[in-house]
Amino acid sequence: MASNRLFARRRDGRLEVRLNDAGRSVLRAVFSQVVAAERDTNHEWHLSLQSPINPGRDADDPVAVLARQVGTSTNAELALASVHEQFLTDVEAWAWLTSLQVALRSVAVSQGILSEERLAAAEDELRQQIATLQLLLVSLAECL
Amino acid sequence: MGAAQPLTAPRVDETLKTETARSTQRLWNVIVWNDPVTPMSVVVVIFRKIFGYSNNKCTQLMLTVHHQGRAVVWSGAQERAEDYGVKLQVAGLSATVEPAS
Repeated sequence: MASNRLFARRRDGRLEVRLNDAGRSVLRAVFSQVVAAERDTNHEWHLSLQSPINPGRDADDPVAVLARQVGTSTNAELALASVHEQFLTDVEAWAWLTSLQVALRSVAVSQGILSEERLAAAEDELRQQIATLQLLLVSLAECL
Repeated sequence: MGAAQPLTAPRVDETLKTETARSTQRLWNVIVWNDPVTPMSVVVVIFRKIFGYSNNKCTQLMLTVHHQGRAVVWSGAQERAEDYGVKLQVAGLSATVEPAS
């Protein structure tokens, strides 16, 4: 019976990517957006990457802010560098998962989707974009 | 040369000592907040990877976030709490830290 899963865990421990060229193009665009959003303060996702860590303080600890910036960028750059791979290591798969999740939340936050009601009332194109990211994330999470 | 004064330890303000001890022992909570788009299975995987909790515990925490809007996912020293807060944000979840009440 043919499997239509997008990712599969192999016996050697690596993760097989079963996406076609169109699927990989979507991922390449998503990972590129996360890299750009972290660098470009005018990017529409940039603010969603700057959430307070300790809201009780006037400003977050600069070391924590830098650690978040480095972590987000490193994951997105690794995901982008491995987007053409047929097989992923666990580190690469984690980078894909976290970058997809960062992108999903950034799409939602930048479009004001902060409740179930707002999501239900969103335009079809936006809901389709969110559903695509969710499908990729759930498929990947099944293998991790 | 005058007579040597006996050496004595500097006096430490007892109030300051107590406050410092309280502040270093104070517990901090790591909070994860609900959002309308993150799939439940993804939250479970992120908790398992970051904290090393069992699947059952991760699922319980995820359900608390889903039903109550937030959950305390870890408590302890401030520095580690902030480190976990950063890791959860890098993984794309909505997370903050706050002093435990």
